[in-house]
This record gives sequence, C-alpha cells and structure tokens, in this order.
Amino acid sequence: MSSARFVRPSPPAGSSAKKDRTTARTATSLAPTLATAAAKLRRRFGARLLEEKESFGELTFVIAPGDWMRVLAFCKTAPDLAFDQLDCLMGDHLPERADTPFAVLAHLTSHVHGHRLRVKTFLAEGGPLPTVTGLWPSAGFDERETWEMFGIVFQDHPDLRRLLTAEDFRGFPLRKDFPLEGNVGGRVRTDLRGKI
Amino acid sequence: MNDAIDSATIHAREADSTSPDTPPRPNVEQLRERKARTRQHLETGGDIMTISMGPQHPSTHGVFQMVLDLDGEVIVDLRPEIGNLHRGVEKLCEHRTYHQIIPLTDRLDYNSAFAMNHGFCEAAEKLMGVEVPPRARYIRTIAHELSRLANHILWLGVHIMDLGTQTFFVICFRDREYVLDLFEMLTGARLTHSFARIGGVAKDLPDGFEQRCRKVIEFLPKRIAEYERIVKHNRIYYKRAKNVGIFTSEDCYAWRVTGPTLRAAGVARDLRKDEPYAAYDEVDFEVAVEYNADVYDRFLVRMKEMRESCKIIRQCLDGLPGGPYLARDAAHSLPVKRDVLRDSAAMIQDFYQVFQGPQAPKGEVYRAIEVPKGEMGVYIRSEGGAKPARVRFTTPSFYHGQAMPALSIGETVPDLVAIFASVDVVLGDCDK
Repeated sequence: MSSARFVRPSPPAGSSAKKDRTTARTATSLAPTLATAAAKLRRRFGARLLEEKESFGELTFVIAPGDWMRVLAFCKTAPDLAFDQLDCLMGDHLPERADTPFAVLAHLTSHVHGHRLRVKTFLAEGGPLPTVTGLWPSAGFDERETWEMFGIVFQDHPDLRRLLTAEDFRGFPLRKDFPLEGNVGGRVRTDLRGKI
Repeated sequence: MNDAIDSATIHAREADSTSPDTPPRPNVEQLRERKARTRQHLETGGDIMTISMGPQHPSTHGVFQMVLDLDGEVIVDLRPEIGNLHRGVEKLCEHRTYHQIIPLTDRLDYNSAFAMNHGFCEAAEKLMGVEVPPRARYIRTIAHELSRLANHILWLGVHIMDLGTQTFFVICFRDREYVLDLFEMLTGARLTHSFARIGGVAKDLPDGFEQRCRKVIEFLPKRIAEYERIVKHNRIYYKRAKNVGIFTSEDCYAWRVTGPTLRAAGVARDLRKDEPYAAYDEVDFEVAVEYNADVYDRFLVRMKEMRESCKIIRQCLDGLPGGPYLARDAAHSLPVKRDVLRDSAAMIQDFYQVFQGPQAPKGEVYRAIEVPKGEMGVYIRSEGGAKPARVRFTTPSFYHGQAMPALSIGETVPDLVAIFASVDVVLGDCDK
C-alpha cells in the first residue's frame, strides 16, 4: 500500500537531521538563569528530586507528593528561582502506571528572570496533596478543576467544590475510563435548590 | 456623549488628587496605598444582603455568576460561579487528531478565534518539531493582530456600553466590521475561522487583500483617535474609571492576571517580545505600558495596543516574504489543497493526514503565547500517534474571572460593572 510509505513518518536520514535540529534548539534555549535555578534546587533538595528531565527546551522535576509544598514554596521564595506566577496547575491520568496513575503538574513562571519550570508529582487514586493556594491564590480554580476532573483531593483548600460541571454531576470526567459521551443519559439533571 | 473636557483640565485634576511631590509614575507601594484608600472596608456587623448578579446579567457578557455580599452598596464578599458554558473541550481533544482540534479552539475565545488557533498550533509544532515557513509566519502575525484589533474594538464598545452609553457601542461595531470583512476575505468566516494549520495557515492571502488591509490599517488609527476624543477626555468616563479597581503588579502575579491588566500595572510583560513566536521578532513595535493600574489605564493600554497592531500589520505587509504558506512536512502537516487534485504524493499525504492524522512523538510541551486577553498556554502530552493523551488550555479569562473577588471587594456595585468589563472576560474562554 502506498500509505505504508507514510506510516513511518520520515526516512532515517531525515529524522536524524530533524532530531539534531531539535536537540540543538533544546541545548541553546535553556536560559542561564534557569540553569542556575536548577542547580540551586538540586543543591537544596538533592535526592528528593526523583527525576529531572529536559525536553523541548523545558525543564521538568518530578518530586514525591510529600515534598510538594516544600519544593513549591522554595521555588516561589528563593531569589534565584523567584517563580512568582503559577502559570497552570493541572491534573493528568496515566492508567499504565499501576500504583500511581495520577499526576499533578505545576507550570511556574518567573517575571523576575523570565524562565519557566514544570514540577510534577505522581499520586495514587484520590491521593491527597496539600493546597498551594497559600502561595499563589490563582491555584484556587485550578485545584477545584483538578479535583472535579480527576478526583484528586487538595487538603485545606478553602472551597473545594465542583467548578465547571453541574453540582450533582457524578464521576470524574477527564479520567481515561470516563466515556466521552458521559454516563448520565441524555437528560441534564440539575437540582440546585439550596446549593448556592 | 459630547461632554468632553480638554486634557489639560484632566491632568490638572489628576495632579490635584495626589500630593504635588508625587512622581507621575507611581510605584507598587504608592499603588498599594492608593488601592487601600479607594477601597472601603466597612465593619461587617451590619445587615449583609446577598444577591446574585448573573448568570444572565447583561454586564457579564455571557453566563458568569457573581454571588455578592453587600453592605449597602459596598461589596463585602464576591463568589464567582462559572461553568455554565462548559463544553468539555479538553476531553474532546483526547478523542480527536491534532488537525481536528483546531476548530475546537475557535470556540474558546470566539472574539479572537485566530489567536486561539495560533496558540494550539504553536504548541503542536513545538511538539512535532515542524518548521513554519516564513510566509506562513508573516500571515499568522497579520491574522493574529487583526484578531487583536477585532477583540479590542469589541471590548471598547461593550465596556463603554456597560458604563451607560449605547451610541458608542454601535460606532465600535461598525469599525469592527471592517476587520471582520478582512477576516471573511482571508478565511471565509467572520468569527470562527479555523485558519491556522499545523505548519502554516490554511490559505494564502487572496488577491486584493493587501490593498484592502492597508486601507483598513490606515483608517483605524484615525478611528482610534476618534475613540480617544470621545472617551478619554469624557468627564463621565474619567470619573467612572479613574482610580477604580486598582490591581497592582503583585496582585496580578498572585492571581495570574496577564495581558493588558498586567501592563496597566506598569509591567512591560508581553510574550510577543519576551518569548517571540511567528514573526514578532522581525517586526518593530512597542509594548504598551501604563502605570496607574486602574480601569482607565487598562483602556489606555488597549488603545496603544491597537495602534501598535496597525504598525505590526503594516510592517508585515511591507516585508511579506514569498514561498510556501504551509510546511512541506508529509508526516505532520496537511498538503496544499491545490496540489491534492494534481499530485499523487500530495493526495496520499492528504488521505494519510485526514484519516490517520499527524504522527507526534512522545513527550510533553507547554507553550504560552500572548492572545488579546492575556497569556494563553497550551499543554500537550503525547504518547505518540495522532491523538494527544492530554491537552490543557490555560486560558486567560479563567483566571481573570477567578480574580474578581480580589479586584472588587471594597468597591461598589456600579464600579464592579466597570471592573469586570475592564479585565475582559469571555465566557467561552473561561468555561472551556
């Protein structure tokens, strides 16, 4: 079949050339301030940073859920890191990871240095995580959304209610086992009496 | 609306309102102090009335509910309730190929649909390593700035309408038509364009577009001067907007409020300059910054941005390079439609891209761009293949709606209308 030509997207020579270009861009685009910040994080937390990954010019640190608050607080307050803005806090579901199938990712931005960092942690189902609304108030909606979409509980969150879906919605829609068409049939059930 | 007073009077009044030795550009401490002065913190021992503003209130521009606790007319507490327009875009994205996601992004922020397409395509191209040809980058810049113009003109009309005038709204809508006509010529659609493609744009510039676009960007700065003549020195607008809704740069960082609201707080943060994409590093423009962090300065920032947008479009039209408008990348991007009917390889590529989809490598990327409302980030995690495993749209309105309590507690209800309009929330963008 002619389409077989396209199943493997590019010939080996072309793909290696592309890979070279990508890695070259990755190597150059990691800002010196971010390298300093990463060194500082490594010095402070050492083996507590379970994994460090650099891809597409972005730096990712994987940490244990127990260190979530401590690492993020350090990221915000240390002057060499100075991540004063939480760009996005989000959940993810990876069913292939048997014991810790859920992930929470925080994308941090620094207005002082202009660099970005991703901090990631893997959790068991519903596995509680401390809230970071005390560090960045903007995490409030993000954590509510992560809770309603994945069922990840954020301890001490000031207002952990459903955000985007209806009050009486059942299930956690962004989990991979949740069907695209939903599970409540064709009727939207809303009974909001006494709930707001 | 012809209640205009000259700028000297306004500047004199502005000087009166602060002490004479205050420098013209307030710093964060001064703003914080001014914010404390303009907000009323009443004792909450009295009668608190709880009312629901929205979800169908005209000033919410959609379905945004604010549950207000009021002491007289002063807002003691505010709880934003969103989600009435939730369509599950992120879930839908996991079941579609990268090409099929582009029309979904139109519906996020329908006032600046191209900016949303552009943001998703930038992230997907970063993931797949697709090089965008120069002509496509320039066309994208033109379309992005046109969408910024359309968005800001609409914002202006609606903002002024919320503050009590109807005529100006119609004036703005008339001028927005010129921009939408350009979009119609360029993409065939007026609101939901789906014009960006992975690796470029859907079509080349049509015949006659350049002349017409030049006419519009010659004409719009005159209209912007007219808007300023009507609004900027208007006594009613000045009183409604000056020193209302002060939000310092620290507050903006904490609540992730970006875009014109951040720039009105004196921060020259613009991803078009800081993390350039498309052709923004090849054109010359200034980041619009104001320093008073109130509703009035957000208006001034948007007026400046519209002028800069016209400048960017003019430079792009002047320096528009030739060449293809879509990347020649058989694995990731669609072929040029004209070739599909003539060339068998292009036809195979078309079938492959439509039925199989682009083959992305494993990995995760986060790409943020500056859309008219603020910073929009797109996170994509791919496990290989044609469909993403997780997509997250970090849309500005989501956070701007969340910041409403911090923006407006201590202000009065009429000011709340001005503040809500000034941060520019679109509910399609907010509810995803």
